[in-house]
Amino acid sequence: MILYNYICAFFLIVLGFYTIVTKYNLVKTVIGMSVMDYGVNLLIISVGYTPGGTAPVFTAGELTQASYFVDPIPQALTLTSIVIGACVTAMSMSLVMRLHESYGTLDTREIRRLRG
Amino acid sequence: MTANIFLNGLQYLGYILIFPGFLFCFLCGMLLVGIDRKLVARMQKRVGPPILQPFYDFFKLCGKETIVPAAASRTTFLLAPLVGLAALVVIQLFIPIRGFSAFSGMADIIVVLYLLLIPALAAILGAAASGSPYAGVGLSREMVTIIACELPLVLVLLAVAKAVGSTMGSGLCFSLSEIARYQVENGSLITRLSMIPAAIAFAMVIPGETGSHPFDTAEAETEICEGMHAEYSGAPLAVFKLSHAVKVLTMTSLFVALFLGGVGTGIIAVDGVIVFALCVIATALFISFVHAVTARLKIEQVFKYYWTVVSGLALLSLVLAWYGL
Amino acid sequence: MINLNNMVDYHHFPIYSIMVLFLGAFLIAATGGKESKNPRNPAGFRAWIALIATGLSLFFLGSLVKPVMMDGEVIAYWMGSRGIAGGYAIGIALEVDALSLFFALLISTAVFVSAIYSIRYMVHDDCVPQYYVLYCLLAGGVLGLVLSGDIFNMFVMVEILTFAAVALTAFRTKVYGALEAAFKYLVVGCMGSTAILTGVIMLYAQYHTLNLAQLASLIPGSMNNATKLAFAFLYIGFSTKAFIVPFHPLAADAHGAAPASISVLISGVLTKSGIYGIIRLTYFLFQTMNLGASQFMLVFIGSVSMFVCVTMALAQHDFKRLLAYHSISQIGYVLAAVGLSTSLGVSAGLYHAMNHTLFKGLLFLAAGAVLHETGTTDLGKLGGLSKKMPHTTVLFLIGAFSISGVPPFNGFASKWMIYQAAYQKAVESNNIGFLAVTIVALVTSTLTLASFVKVSQSVFFGQLPKEYENVKEVPFGMRLAMGILAVLCILTGIFPNTVTGILTQPAAKAVADVGEYITAMGFKSNLPVPELNFAQVGVWEPINWLLILCCALLALTVVAVAGKYDRVSESESENEAVETKYQLFYGGEKNVYSQVGGGDLFWGFKHNWRHYFSFMHDLHSGVVNDYALWAVVALALAIVYMMIVF
Repeated sequence: MILYNYICAFFLIVLGFYTIVTKYNLVKTVIGMSVMDYGVNLLIISVGYTPGGTAPVFTAGELTQASYFVDPIPQALTLTSIVIGACVTAMSMSLVMRLHESYGTLDTREIRRLRG
Repeated sequence: MTANIFLNGLQYLGYILIFPGFLFCFLCGMLLVGIDRKLVARMQKRVGPPILQPFYDFFKLCGKETIVPAAASRTTFLLAPLVGLAALVVIQLFIPIRGFSAFSGMADIIVVLYLLLIPALAAILGAAASGSPYAGVGLSREMVTIIACELPLVLVLLAVAKAVGSTMGSGLCFSLSEIARYQVENGSLITRLSMIPAAIAFAMVIPGETGSHPFDTAEAETEICEGMHAEYSGAPLAVFKLSHAVKVLTMTSLFVALFLGGVGTGIIAVDGVIVFALCVIATALFISFVHAVTARLKIEQVFKYYWTVVSGLALLSLVLAWYGL
Repeated sequence: MINLNNMVDYHHFPIYSIMVLFLGAFLIAATGGKESKNPRNPAGFRAWIALIATGLSLFFLGSLVKPVMMDGEVIAYWMGSRGIAGGYAIGIALEVDALSLFFALLISTAVFVSAIYSIRYMVHDDCVPQYYVLYCLLAGGVLGLVLSGDIFNMFVMVEILTFAAVALTAFRTKVYGALEAAFKYLVVGCMGSTAILTGVIMLYAQYHTLNLAQLASLIPGSMNNATKLAFAFLYIGFSTKAFIVPFHPLAADAHGAAPASISVLISGVLTKSGIYGIIRLTYFLFQTMNLGASQFMLVFIGSVSMFVCVTMALAQHDFKRLLAYHSISQIGYVLAAVGLSTSLGVSAGLYHAMNHTLFKGLLFLAAGAVLHETGTTDLGKLGGLSKKMPHTTVLFLIGAFSISGVPPFNGFASKWMIYQAAYQKAVESNNIGFLAVTIVALVTSTLTLASFVKVSQSVFFGQLPKEYENVKEVPFGMRLAMGILAVLCILTGIFPNTVTGILTQPAAKAVADVGEYITAMGFKSNLPVPELNFAQVGVWEPINWLLILCCALLALTVVAVAGKYDRVSESESENEAVETKYQLFYGGEKNVYSQVGGGDLFWGFKHNWRHYFSFMHDLHSGVVNDYALWAVVALALAIVYMMIVF
């Protein structure tokens, strides 16, 4: 089952790359970046998965040798990654807004004052 | 102890001021230029100026008024010729004369390669500081000539380093005095098959580095009024003329040191005369003769020539040296 | 109670140096965005907070030089004293070896100097308090990256610094192209960060640890396809941070648009963090540098970067954009030297990295000074500023000589070591390919010089356009910052043996001695202690050389002064007739403003290379999709290369 997760995660990452490379609309570029991010998040969560494990939440005394739970570290990493992803999206959307104000377009082919 | 240091200091001061420093450079450089002018004139069936003419020119210019143009930045404009000349004299101190070199431990061919940039750079900055458009065109061409000469020069020096190093043991040798020692033991480098193309390439670089025909696009009197020197007059101009003379000496004696080295007599004065005689021959062949038979090239032709023909020769030499020929 | 003796233990200093910067950012943000009334310092005391934070950070790191650099200690610091349990690292760790400290020192020096410069430089801007918040975040992010002993923290710090750098690139929203540059940087930078995160996760999946030292002890010898894939992802991720080919257009855009004080950080600091990442990756984590394929990869990319970027720089007509391309060109030197994988090569590469921070910082600050006074960096519009800004001109020339490798400045000393290292490597391995590196490096150096001749001719020399008649010299604060860097440029140039002995050789030793890095953290390593040889082929003794030159120059000057060389006529007379006599020589033409344009210099060179230049111009199209495509292609190539050769 977990194999599908991996396939799906890399599919999302590649889809994100594809969107960024081929779409000429700035908003779509931002969407591509988000998709790429979700792919990585899915990958992280899948890495920590153990079949049959419970949530890694215990109070004092509950944790015994027999406790069987999923790896908690990737979950913490995912949280960090999601936060960073949200920041990047916010940042890029604000840049897109300002770009639209000053260039009057969202087409990447026209936003190329700096070249050569 | 103190006396020893004092004597050593005096000795080094002697090296810097008299031989092979300023006085030697001044006399020999000017003589070389004089001989060159005479030879070119004779080849063109003119009488030509007397051999001592560069000396007369120099002293006359020193007596003339110096004018700093209104648009120039004064300090750079006046300091540039002095820095250039000083750097050239320093290079001359490193070049071995047969077995003798004034500062043997420090002589290193890549360092010399870079020191050769300083006089050119000083001239360029002085020209830039003058604010003149003629100087602007001149310095642009000078810089392109430097780029053009740099590649073949680098290749030649690396080839020499490899050729000498593979015999001397360590596999690599950048030291000029080591190269001189090698030639004392094994005969001149030019006798090695792999070094012949390198020597030819270096000979072709000499007129480019010294800015003589057909590579004098940067000065081009008839076209851009001496380019970089357009605004110079009086003593600074005299210093530039002297620098040019010293550069002729430097390049030819570098050629002699790299390719025509060999056993010396052990007496410095005699060795000096031998090296100077070889320099005169090199000047006659690579500067005067070429000057007499060619017309000035355009700057893009200069560049193309150096990066194809000359670099090709030097590269050939490097590859040959790499495989131990 | 807090134990004071414990607090001043130098083992805490790495974390202090990072925390003061984040604390500074927090304090500045917490005191609100209201600007002060002082026109000379709109950020008020918040500028001082930033200055103190960066200064303290530099102080903490500086006091680590003795234990880490000289005594060779590796500081392993566990946050909250968690440490190792059951053979696995569970805490978050900082690990400071000589390599980390070397980069950290570079970074904090650049950050501190740039903070001094910022105070007077940012007077024309609004939202200056926010600028300092981002400034401290950026500095803290980079320091955290190089001091971290934990690969996931490296990723987090990469994100923080990318984020701050993007925001600062777009800080002057009115500047031509700033927003555009920031967006491009964000897109490709984000792809790079994602690549790093993917690589980190794949490593975690294989080895269940994020600790660098533990990974370094586990990975070598157990490489499988997943680790190779992770290597490719991490390598590309750090490449985007170092802006090496094919990510160089982003650097050009970002450096050009950002305020000069930030360009210093992007060029001198961010690129270093990428180089640091690549060194950690190749030498420590995967330990592939003994393989020819790995050396080839770094040396090849380094050589391509140095040549491509220097030719791109020759075609530029904007001061800062030109500097940006040169920046990457010099990073190419660093990468190529580090990739040689000899102790001399690594030492030379690190030395050049240090010099790059110093002279590039100086040049960007000089460009900023020109922008501050004239309002433009267009080489075609400027000219003749040396009469109005003499100090800036001298400082710029020191930077220009340094970067072009003119002796006796620092660029020469390090490039000289790089040439030797490359040639020595070629001879030792009997591989003629490394010879090409020496040749490319030497030619690139000359082209760099040409490019800076162009800048000095079209900005500082030549004729002064009418509209800049009233330009003044920049304020003292800005000159002070430039002066510090200029003095450092000269000092590191004339004492190369001291500098390499104290700073770069310990760092190169740390690079070679991976076993020490692993054991210091408490893990087992059976890597042998390497034999190091820093012997050079050639000799370069700047002091002696300088003494001789000074003697020669002194002698010459004495003669010149005695001969009335300096008694010159100048056109200070009111007399009309005299004035025309001392104007420039125009061959009888009337005096007009005639400056040789920067774009037209070196026509002879460009003409021969015109096909190459027009090809490169078309290639750097400025469309973000193209740059993203380059990134994807680079990633794909890296994956294929890793799969085939390792």
